[in-house]
Amino acid sequence: MARFVLRRVVLLFAVLFAVTFLGFSAMNLLGDPLVNVVGVLAELDCEGIEAGLVEDTTVDAASRDCDTVAAAKAQYHLDRAVPVRYVLWLGDMATGDFGTSFQNDQPVSQVIREKLPETLILLVMAQIVSLGVAIPWGVIAAYRANRAFDRGSTVASFGLLSVPNFALGVVLLYLLALRWQVFPSAYESDNLGGLVYSMVLPALTLGLPLAASYQRLLRTDLITTLQEDFVHMARAKGLPPLRIMFRHALRPSLFSVVTVFGVSTGALIGGSLVVEQIFGIPGIGREIVTAVIRDDFPVVLAIVMLVAVTFVVINFLVDLFYSWLDPRVRAR
Amino acid sequence: MAEQVAAGVPLLSVRDLHVQFPTERGTVNAVNGVSFDLYEGKTLAIVGESGSGKSVTAKTLMNLLPRTARVSGEVTYDGKDVRALAAEKVKHFFGVQMTMVFQDPMTSLNPVKKVGEQIAETLRYHLGRSRGDALEEAEELLNVVGIPEPGRRVSQYPHELSGGLRQRVVIAMALACQPRLLIADEPTTAVDVTVQKHLLDLLDELRRDRGMSMILITHDLGVAHGRADDVAVMYAGRVVETADARTLFFDMRHPYTEALLRSIPRIDDPVHHRLDPIPGRPPELVDPPDACAFAPRCIYAQADCLGGVPELSGLVGLHRFACLHPTGTERGMAAMSANRAAGVTAAGLPVAGSGGGSG
Repeated sequence: MARFVLRRVVLLFAVLFAVTFLGFSAMNLLGDPLVNVVGVLAELDCEGIEAGLVEDTTVDAASRDCDTVAAAKAQYHLDRAVPVRYVLWLGDMATGDFGTSFQNDQPVSQVIREKLPETLILLVMAQIVSLGVAIPWGVIAAYRANRAFDRGSTVASFGLLSVPNFALGVVLLYLLALRWQVFPSAYESDNLGGLVYSMVLPALTLGLPLAASYQRLLRTDLITTLQEDFVHMARAKGLPPLRIMFRHALRPSLFSVVTVFGVSTGALIGGSLVVEQIFGIPGIGREIVTAVIRDDFPVVLAIVMLVAVTFVVINFLVDLFYSWLDPRVRAR
Repeated sequence: MAEQVAAGVPLLSVRDLHVQFPTERGTVNAVNGVSFDLYEGKTLAIVGESGSGKSVTAKTLMNLLPRTARVSGEVTYDGKDVRALAAEKVKHFFGVQMTMVFQDPMTSLNPVKKVGEQIAETLRYHLGRSRGDALEEAEELLNVVGIPEPGRRVSQYPHELSGGLRQRVVIAMALACQPRLLIADEPTTAVDVTVQKHLLDLLDELRRDRGMSMILITHDLGVAHGRADDVAVMYAGRVVETADARTLFFDMRHPYTEALLRSIPRIDDPVHHRLDPIPGRPPELVDPPDACAFAPRCIYAQADCLGGVPELSGLVGLHRFACLHPTGTERGMAAMSANRAAGVTAAGLPVAGSGGGSG
């Protein structure tokens, strides 16, 4: 067990290293980050001014602009080579300093602290929706496989899977918020209850297509499990069908769902970019879109890293969950 | 039933059981009119090759067939119509009155539940035991079926046990609610030969101690020998011969029974003695011809064997067989010599001349 955890921690760091290195390089290749900090002042030939070769065009006080540029360079280590900057950035990260946003000089950690809760609530609710819908749905479909309900749900799940997020979101918004006014159409953050309530529609938008794919997997695995001898044995023991379904068949049939649950975390975060836009949720998804557009790379990198950590940690938990699902995994 | 000979009312009575499975290739006639009686405390062995319908018969009794199966006929347990009980989803019948042990202990235990829990589950559901009591009883049951260190085993998972131990767990599970009828479907086929005898002896002992009745399903007549009171030999979904064990082993009438007996090795056979395999393969169960199903593989086969399915004749409860030219009778002898003289049976199976066969 200790070795298992250790391997995972090493993997986590390897993933983080790869992800941040790629992200860091990409952000630096996209343009001179200095422009994002000091704007047109980046054009100044401060070295020339210092050497007296170029005339300082600053009107009010000589060399003040060059001081600004120098300060910015020092703050963001922009006077160093990219690899050096990467290492310095890593060092800052390690001490919990995520840097400051180029846009408004806010510390990145504060930006994330403000935006993360919304996105987390959205993602958790979306997964609750997806599992909460998929498990009963898959169980019923498998219990009466190839009957009317099962066939209907095949159609329904393929429908849900082929509708893009934004379209589903708009349809739900129109029907449930505008037409029948069951849920609010706009994001509310006055209190937690209102927040959760206003997140229902976004969570459905994200969770329902996922529920459809979980349902397909669960149904297939359950049908296979229900043909196993131990299910026959449970029937021969005289246990009622529902008990057999939930106490015997469900647990060994959850592997695919759990695997995809872990993997889909990444896709879900991607989906939240769109959904946060549609429903006006000020979350991480919207933040990263703005940050990418504005080349605000401390924010982008921090979010990318956050997503990577989440992804690795969730998949680590999924692996732990496997060994709860099947004791044979523990033996290995 | 005037022709009934054995005394009393049978515990389990099967009459004219038919089971069909619709498939894409056509309807499979898995069981075609099987009838038998089982009396309290007795063991009935149902013997046959794979595809003979013996397992389907067992599954029908336990209501374990897939929904697509079409079943007709009567199954009566202690005066109650079992199929009606199953249809009404009566609680505490299966698993309490009658239960089943499956062929493969590697797959008949739930891999993700501790063995103790799997045994305790039945006790809790049917007998309303508390969790603690049920686990204690489970441990006791493991002891009864001869599992060493039962206290440790209850909290182990199936994969931590050997095949033989697992089958003992399955037996313990089946016995938990003290059933009156145990159906054992090839209980030793999937375990080591060295373990087989132990398991069979265990089943026999438990049956005697608890006054259970047992249906022992096997493809191996050797397994039935010495353990069954009565034997029913099945072929192509029918019972072709049934009798008390002694009669069946020493005075069999059906050529198939005879062939089955010849195909098992005996300890007193000379070294390098060749076994006589049964020629050909079991018949297709889709669209069976209106003839004796064994005729194509039978060295006694005559023209009349191909003219219709022979009826099971004789007295219920006594020796009955479905053959027009039974082995050990004059008709059988005549058929055999006619075939030997011709070198071929009426169904086209080549036969060696008189005195033939391998030495």
